[in-house]
Amino acid sequence: MELMNNVKIKSKNLNVYYGEKQALFDVNLDLNEKEVTALIGPSGCGKSTFIRCINRMNDVIDICKVSGNIEIDGVEINDKNLDVVSLRERVGMVFQKPNPFPKSIYDNISYGPKIHGKGETKSELDEIVENSLKKAALWEEVKDRLDEPGTGLSGGQQQRLCIARAISVNPEVILMDEPCSALDPIATAKIEELIDELKKTYTIVIVTHSMAQAVRVSQKTGFFHLGKLIEVGKTEKIFKNPDNKMTQDYITGRFG
Amino acid sequence: MSNEHTVKSYEEELRYLIDSVIKMGSLTESQLVDSMDAVIKVDKDSIDKIIKSDDEINKFRSKIDTQIMTLLVKRAPMAIDLRETISSLKISQDLERIGDLSKSNAKKVKPLPLDLPEELLGNLKRLGELVIKQLNDVLDSYVNKNYDKAKEVWEKDEQVDDLTYIAMESVIDFLSKDKKNLDFSTHLIFATKNLERAGDHITNIAESICYLIKGEYLKGSRPKGKVIQQ
Repeated sequence: MELMNNVKIKSKNLNVYYGEKQALFDVNLDLNEKEVTALIGPSGCGKSTFIRCINRMNDVIDICKVSGNIEIDGVEINDKNLDVVSLRERVGMVFQKPNPFPKSIYDNISYGPKIHGKGETKSELDEIVENSLKKAALWEEVKDRLDEPGTGLSGGQQQRLCIARAISVNPEVILMDEPCSALDPIATAKIEELIDELKKTYTIVIVTHSMAQAVRVSQKTGFFHLGKLIEVGKTEKIFKNPDNKMTQDYITGRFG
Repeated sequence: MSNEHTVKSYEEELRYLIDSVIKMGSLTESQLVDSMDAVIKVDKDSIDKIIKSDDEINKFRSKIDTQIMTLLVKRAPMAIDLRETISSLKISQDLERIGDLSKSNAKKVKPLPLDLPEELLGNLKRLGELVIKQLNDVLDSYVNKNYDKAKEVWEKDEQVDDLTYIAMESVIDFLSKDKKNLDFSTHLIFATKNLERAGDHITNIAESICYLIKGEYLKGSRPKGKVIQQ
C-alpha cells in the first residue's frame, strides 16, 4: 500500500456559525503534510469557511463563532491565548482575486518578513525577495523591474506575486481559495505547475470549482455539501469511483 | 445512471454512445449466429452476406470512437461517466474483434465439402451455441448493468475452453483416420480456435462491464479450462 504523509492539520467536530446560521457541521478532516488537498463543492457549501478556520481568518467576522478543534502539528489553534499573528505567519493564504499591495514588487515581498522581524538587513531582505520570487516561478520575469508596482503585472503574474508574498515569511501551510478562477489557461497552468513544486516544501489546501484542476493538483480531495464534509479520500478514487452518490452527482454535473 | 445531468445534451451524448454499443453488440451477435449457421450447414451462399455485415460492425466501431473523442474533449467525464466512456471504447474493440473472427469463420466455409459427417460437427456446434449464449448474456448484463451476470459470463469461459478442447479432439480424431481430410480439417481446427478466441473477447467485455459498474477490476485470474492449462 502507498504510504501517506503525516497528518499536518486535523479538524475534529468543527462547527462554524455565522450568527444564527450554521455554516459547518461537525467537520472531521485530516490534511497531510507536504501534500495538496483539494476541497470541492457547490458555492456556499462551507469549503472556504473551512480553510478560513485554519488561519483563524474567521476571527475578523464579528458574528462568526467557531467550536470544535483544529490542530496543527497536534497543537490546538482555536486557543484564545494563541498568537494569531504568528499563526498566520505559519499559515499563508492566497485568494481568488490577486490582491498585491499598492506597492512595488519588492515591497510586496519584503513587507511580511519585515513586520515579522525577519530579514533585518537590506541584503537579507534582498535574499528573501529573490528566493520567494524564484520559488513562485516569477523571478525571471520581474528581476529587472522590482521597483515597479505589483499591480502593473498581468493577472497570472500578480497571483504568483501573492504566492511569493505568502512564501516570503517561510510558512508551513499555504491556503488557496480558488487561486486560478480569475486567470487564463496558461497562467492557470503555471500556477498548477508551481503548486506541484511547492508541495515538496509546504502543506497546501486548495479550494477549487474546477474538477479537472482538483484532479491535476491534489492527492486528496474532500467534497463539501451544505456545510457537511460528505466524502474525503484519495483524489484518484474520488474522481474515478467515489463511494457517495452525492459526490458522484456533483462531480459528474448531475446536481440539483 | 442515476439522476440526469444538468446539461441535457451531455446526457443525450452519453445515452447515444451507450445505444451505439448496444446496437453494435446486437449486430455482432447476429453475425456470429449467421457464421455458425453457415459453418454447421456448410451454407456457402451466406458467406458474402456475413462478410458484408462485418463492414457494418467496423463502421459502428469508428462511429463509437468519434463519439468517445467528442465526449472526452467536450465533457471531460468523471466517475461513472468516465467509466461508461472508457468501457464503451474497450467493449467496442472486443466486439469488433469478435466480428473479425465470425468473418474469418464464414470464409472457412468455402473449402468445406457439403457432406461433412455429423459426429465431426456436433462438438463444434455445441461450442458455437455456448459462445453465442455467452455473448448474448454479456450484452444483457451490459444493457441491464448487471454485475453478477457479467461475472457469471466471466467464470463460464472455462466451459468454452473445455468445449474447445473436446471439439479440437474430434476434428483431430477424424483427421487421423484419413489424411485426405487434412485440407478441410485444418479449416475446422482454425474455426474452433476462432470460437475460443471470441470467448476470450467476451470475457474481456465482462471484465469491462464489472469495472464499469463497481469501479474496480475483478480480482484474481479467470478460471481456465483444460486447453489453456495444457
